[in-house]
This record gives sequence, C-alpha cells and structure tokens, in this order.
Amino acid sequence: MTRDLIIGMAGSGGDGIVSAGESLIAACAAEGYHAIMTKSFGSQIRGGESSCRVRLAIDPVLNPGGALDVAVALNWEDFLKFGAELPVGGETVVIYDSATGVPPEKVPLTGISPSEVFAVPIGEMARKATGTDKAKNTVVLGLLSGWFGIVRDGVMKGMRKKLAKKGAEVLEANERAFQAGIDYAAAHPLRTSRTMEKPARPGVKLLTDGNDICAAAAIFSGCQFFGGYPITPSTEVMQLLTREIWKYGGAVLQAEDEIAGIGAALGASFAGKKSMTATSGPGMSLKTEVLGLASIAELPLVIVNVQRGGPSTGMPTKSEQSDLFQAVFSGHGDVVRPVLAPTTVSDTFDVTVEAFNLAEKYQTPVIVLSDQEIAQRKEVIDPIDTSRFTVVDRLRPNDAELEDYARFRLTDSGVSPISHPGLEGGNYLGAGIEHNEQGDPTASGAMHAKMTAKRFRKLDPLRERTDLFRIEGDPEAPLALISWGSTAGVCREALQLARAERLKVKLLVPYLLHPIAEGVYRRFFESVKAGLVVEQSYQGQLYRLLRTQLDLPKGLRPFCRTGANPFRPREVVDTLREAVLSLQRSVEDARQPQE
Amino acid sequence: MTSLPTLTAKDFKSDLKPIWCPGCGDFGVLQALYRALAAIGRPPHEIAFISGIGCSSRIPGYTTAYGFNSVHGRALPIAQGIKLARPELLVLAAGGDGDGFSIGGGHVPHAIRRNIDITYIVMDNQIYGLTKGQLSPTSPKGLHTVTSGYGSLENPINPLLYTLAYGAPFVAQGTPADMAGLASILEEAIRYPGFSFVNVQSPCVTYGEECQQVKAQKTKMKPLASLGHDASNLLSALDLSRSYGTELYTGVLYRNPQPPPSMDAQVVERQQRLAQGALPRERILDLFVQK
Repeated sequence: MTRDLIIGMAGSGGDGIVSAGESLIAACAAEGYHAIMTKSFGSQIRGGESSCRVRLAIDPVLNPGGALDVAVALNWEDFLKFGAELPVGGETVVIYDSATGVPPEKVPLTGISPSEVFAVPIGEMARKATGTDKAKNTVVLGLLSGWFGIVRDGVMKGMRKKLAKKGAEVLEANERAFQAGIDYAAAHPLRTSRTMEKPARPGVKLLTDGNDICAAAAIFSGCQFFGGYPITPSTEVMQLLTREIWKYGGAVLQAEDEIAGIGAALGASFAGKKSMTATSGPGMSLKTEVLGLASIAELPLVIVNVQRGGPSTGMPTKSEQSDLFQAVFSGHGDVVRPVLAPTTVSDTFDVTVEAFNLAEKYQTPVIVLSDQEIAQRKEVIDPIDTSRFTVVDRLRPNDAELEDYARFRLTDSGVSPISHPGLEGGNYLGAGIEHNEQGDPTASGAMHAKMTAKRFRKLDPLRERTDLFRIEGDPEAPLALISWGSTAGVCREALQLARAERLKVKLLVPYLLHPIAEGVYRRFFESVKAGLVVEQSYQGQLYRLLRTQLDLPKGLRPFCRTGANPFRPREVVDTLREAVLSLQRSVEDARQPQE
Repeated sequence: MTSLPTLTAKDFKSDLKPIWCPGCGDFGVLQALYRALAAIGRPPHEIAFISGIGCSSRIPGYTTAYGFNSVHGRALPIAQGIKLARPELLVLAAGGDGDGFSIGGGHVPHAIRRNIDITYIVMDNQIYGLTKGQLSPTSPKGLHTVTSGYGSLENPINPLLYTLAYGAPFVAQGTPADMAGLASILEEAIRYPGFSFVNVQSPCVTYGEECQQVKAQKTKMKPLASLGHDASNLLSALDLSRSYGTELYTGVLYRNPQPPPSMDAQVVERQQRLAQGALPRERILDLFVQK
C-alpha cells in the first residue's frame, strides 16, 4: 500500500490535461486525501502544450514532490517540453497513448528505464466510449483510478456535478470512458501493486490556492478596498475580491495602471478603510513610488507581490524568489516596510491576516512576498480555525487627543493615533513631504531626523516576534536548513528525509523576512556548523541579506538557482551532505602542516 | 433643534502661510475656493482635498479640510480611492498643468470615464514654477524656457478639449482675474453630481509671460455667459474649447444636463444589494469547502 502518490500528465491544449488534474484534486478533497496540484503551460493563450502534477497523500503534502510515481503522456513532444516539471525516474510507471506509435521499449526518456511502461490506446478508447477524442482525459482518470485504487467515487460524483447541465447522454458517455480506463487497468495489472491507502476519515477539506486564500484572508481581516491592475500570477486575488468584497461594504477598482491601483488603495486607507493591492514584480517596480508615500504618510497598506521570474517581463508564469531585495530595499529614502512571506497555501491565510494586523498596528505599508508556486497551485488543506486569529484595527484618536490633535505626534512607540476624513477635530494634512507633528510641511533637518526615527521605531517590536519563525527538527542540531516561501515546503520534506537518514538537522523558516530578527537567527546559529540557505534566485538573496546583518556560521552556504526549476527534497539532502564534506575538507586543509 | 452654524470663508482658511510668490494666481484660486466651500456649507472635516506636487499642489494645506499633498501626478488615483471608500465625503483634487497633464496625464481619462463624483481643479500656468521655469505640457509652441532652448518644438495639450473629448460631464474654465466668477464656477463644479473639471488660468508671476498675467487677463477674458453660450451643448463647447491658448473663455463650457450615474453611487447601490448574500467574515473560508 502507498501513502503518497505523485502523478504528472502532459498533452496538447485540447487534451484537457489540466481539467483532468482539477477533477482529480477535487475528488481527492471529497475523499479526504491531502493533495497539491501544480499546472504548467506553454506561453500560448489557447492551445499549445499543458501539463499538471497532482501529489496526493494520506498525510499533509508539503510540496509538489520530486520524481513522478506516474507519468502520463498523451503525446511525447508535449511531455518532453516539461522536463523540469515532470521528472521521470527509475520507479516511475509510464502511461502513454499508443497512437503515438512509439514502442514501449523505445520511449524517449534518455538514460531512464522506468519500472513499468504501458502503451494504452487512450484516444481509441475515448472514441469508442463517446464518439470523440475529447474524453481522453476521462479515460486517463479511469486508468489512474483502476491502477492506483483512487478516487473512483469522487471522480464519478464530480463528473455528475460538472456534466449535469449537458444532459444524461453526455454524462453516460463520459462514465463509459471512465469505466473503460478502469477495465483496461484491471486487465493489465501492475507488476507491483501501488494501491493507495484510503484516508482514515474523510472529514471536511478545503480546496483552494494561494491567491484565493489571500483574498479570503483580506476579507476576514476587514479589508474594504482593493486597487490593482491585472498581472500574472497575482490576478486571482483581485478576481476573488471582485466577486466578494461588495458584500462587506467594500469596493474593487481595476485601475488604469499599477501606480493608480496602489494610489487608490492608499487613498482608501487615508479615508480610514483597510486596503490592499496585489501585483507581481513588474508591477511592484511601478508601485514603489506609492510604497514610499505610504511609509512617510504612515498609512496602513497591504501590498502583495506574487513573485515570478524576472527581471523585466522575465518568466511570467514561473515561480522565482528573486524579488526579496526589491521588497526590502526598493524606493528612495529610508522607507519603512515590514516584509512577510507565506510558505504554503494554508499559511498564506495566516500571513495575510498578520500583514493586515501589522499594517494597522504600525501604520505602515507591509509587503507580502508570495510566489507563483504557492499562489497558483491548488491544494487540499484542512479547515482553518479562524477563531485563533485576532484582527487588529488602527489606533484612533480619543476625544481628549482630538482636542489638540497632532497626527504625527512623537511617541515612544512611534505610533500616533490616526484620524480620517469624516472625523471632526482630526483634520490634518497628509503628505509625502516631510512634516512636523501637526503634519505641516517642514524643511528642518532636526524634524526630519526625529520623524525618520519615529517611523523606524515602530518596527522595533517586530524583531522580537519569534512567532513569525518556525524551527523544526532537532533544536541543537549541527546541520541547518534555512528556507522561505514555497521552497520552505521542499525543505520540510528534505528535513524528514535527512533525519530518516540519521543526519542531525534543523530547519528555520522565516515568515518575517524584514526587518531581520537578529536574535532569532543568532540563537538558531549557536549549534550550527554547516548548512544551506535554500532559495529560488540566482543571487541567493536571503543568504546575502543575512550576511549584511549577521555573522553566519562558516559552513552555511547558499543553495540557490533561478526559477522554473523547482528544488527537490532529495537534492537538498544531497547538497547538505556536500556542504558537510566541504566543511570537513576545509577544516582538514587548515590542519595540514605548511610545507 | 438648533440650526447648523453658517460657515464663512474664514472657516476654511488654515494657519499655514502659503509659500507662493507675491502676486501668484494661486492666491486667487484659494480665495475663490474658500468662498465656494463656505457657500456649499459642508464642514471642513467632511472634505478631503488631494493634490500632487508643484506650487499649486500646496493648496490643500492652506485649507482646514483633510488634505493630502501626495506625490507628483497621483492626486486623481488617490482621490478616487478616497471617494470609493467613503462616498459620503466631499472630495476635491487639485494640481498644476504638469501634475495633471504630463506626469499624471494618464489618470485623467480614467477618472473621467469612471465618473467618480470628485472635482478636479487644475491651476494651469503653462510653466513649471516650483522647479524654476521649465517647459510644461500646456506651454505654447515656440516658448523659450530653460529646457526649451531656441523655443519649444512641441504643441501644447489642450486641457479643455482633452477632458471634453473623454466625456467629462462638467468642464469649466476660470481665472483669478475674476474672483467672483471663479468662486461661482467652483461652487457649481463641486455641486455637480459626477466628475467635474475646472481649468484655472492661474498665472505664474515669476516665470510666466506678461500676456498671461492677471492684468492682461482682465482685458482678454470672455465670460461665456455674456456670449450666450449654451452649456448643455457639447458641440458648441468643443468648438469653443478649440481656441484654448488664444482665447480666454471663462465660465461653464459644458454641463451634461442629465448627469450620468457616478461610479461611487453605483458602488453604494451594489454594496446594499449584495450585503444580504455575505458569509460572516469568520466563515469566509467556507467558499472553499469541498462537499
């Protein structure tokens, strides 16, 4: 019996591969499996090649996984375009359409001999069952269901729901196609059984992705305004809000450009409402102007950047973690902005709520650095108990403070009560120009120094927020992994692998990337001799950022590379071993007597 | 029941001393605005006054309203966000010709097509004053400035034609040379239920041309009322606005007699209509439950 199964499928645009993946993950959710689905497309708007991976498991799924357990190729040209996304290994069961004319012993997988290969007349079975090629994806679902014992009821239920409007005839035809797959599998059993275990109890599951849950978290937090501009891969945040936010007295403005989007969002915040914008790297470059304004005007604002490959247009549909420097350093002047990053679909909810709370509490823009991988992957997750979250609102002036109101009063915490238009007695001038306590423009160097210090002082408590970090594994371990964003999910599994192989490892996952909580890192480093900072960027941006502010253990190295080439748990462990060996060698070299 | 206290122009004047040069046209705009706001009678705390960057963008600070002296060219996006977030406010946006038609020019058509109920006042002096005399998007062709040696080779933007062409339902022009007229134009613009645009020929005393100064304007200006212009006639408004730069028409060029619904009013209507269907916030994740 298997507890964890990774399925990868590819075909051309009309093959309905992604739709099959969606049916599969919905069925997983209905039957109580945990699952992650990632999609990958060619650059065409319609048609062209498409692929998806579904990883389903009894236990929570930490990442999309490494090599496939099952590879489905409707044709080989398209499948081979997804080499990095759909790696086939020696343990993989390969299923492909025999119409490709490729004999099983000649499948075009250089240097790999998969454990089992099935050339199945997928197209022919679809035509026989339904009269058209369109049901190829349903045949594939039947094959998977038959060979791996999964989601038979879930798929049937989903099909009935999805095809209800198309009439009994279409539904029956699809049921025949599905059954044909099941029958084929029964007639051609796997040499070694790989039947999936059944989840202990189905229970209620949520099926969502990082962008949708981010938008839901915004509504939960009381967000009443979204201003933004469509940009891949963040647009779904706006799309969900435009369906829901009105119901909560809010509004969405699809602006004429990225600057207007964040400008309108900042206006809404000035007006006293919780507000957000979402974008990706190219949009973030444009929004930087208003980021600085939000910082000096001390207005709460949540800015979500769903990272993609860059610079410039870069790789719009591929994940990368190369906007960390931008998030931390962009903008002219001394700009205050905490930076948070989620690591899973589920904790995108936590991080977004936290972002609203920080924005409100410290009257500052907050950047949420999501990435395409988390934002657009579908995931089956456990329900989230929303009662464990506190929702924070900005500090408003009381009657006594309104008697002699100073919007930017210099306080010990740096936080001063904030009024908004409509509130009598709270009238003030907000400004991008430096100002005194009343908000009046000033050119005084002394006042600029005081106000800058005030704005930065607000973030001091953040450095003590150990709850914005997770440390997993053996707390005194000499080996360490540090990882953020979607890559942290890979490292969580690498940690399990490494510990199973008796390596003494621990993992640090920062949700708060900036300001740097130096104490957290120092305590973590105390036992560390060697380790890796694992991240999806060429420069290793977190590694370099940490080096600017901390003394790192000698054996701590970056393990980083560009996007669209996700890390696999196995290689993280292997690279960690190399880091250990390399440290040992350097220690030995140092001991060699000088000649 | 006590009646609301009557507001006077003084109630809108803040303690800040304007940084403008003596004789700047913007003083007149400010005075006219005080009068218009007093006539309208909304208390200062119910007014949000947003500007960008430039000499004229300092204006919100000289009023007692909530002000936001933002960044260059972005007054309109911020003002629209405010109005959509709090439609009950009276929202004003202001700035210069560079702010509105150069760096922020891309925002104007969109504010117009959304028809959000705000009033946008551009103090048009055909020059960049704050940065000391560079070419502006409304500078006449051939103008010699520190950034247009040998004379500008570019045609100016025509703010009146621009806003009319994009469908602004209310377009007017005024001048501090006629303070009373300007005050009544501003009052009418603010009262108009929808996007209203007022171009004010507000001369720059330091870098502006002699022919633009208040004194010259007094002889040059042609009040539209005295010409018998019908402000409900869009074609006539378009025709008159073509002579921007040569003629100085003052008054309301165009007022759509049937104000189209504003976006903010439609937002409120939608919010009320959909409020019934809302999940409680704490149950928002039910959106994703798989049954």
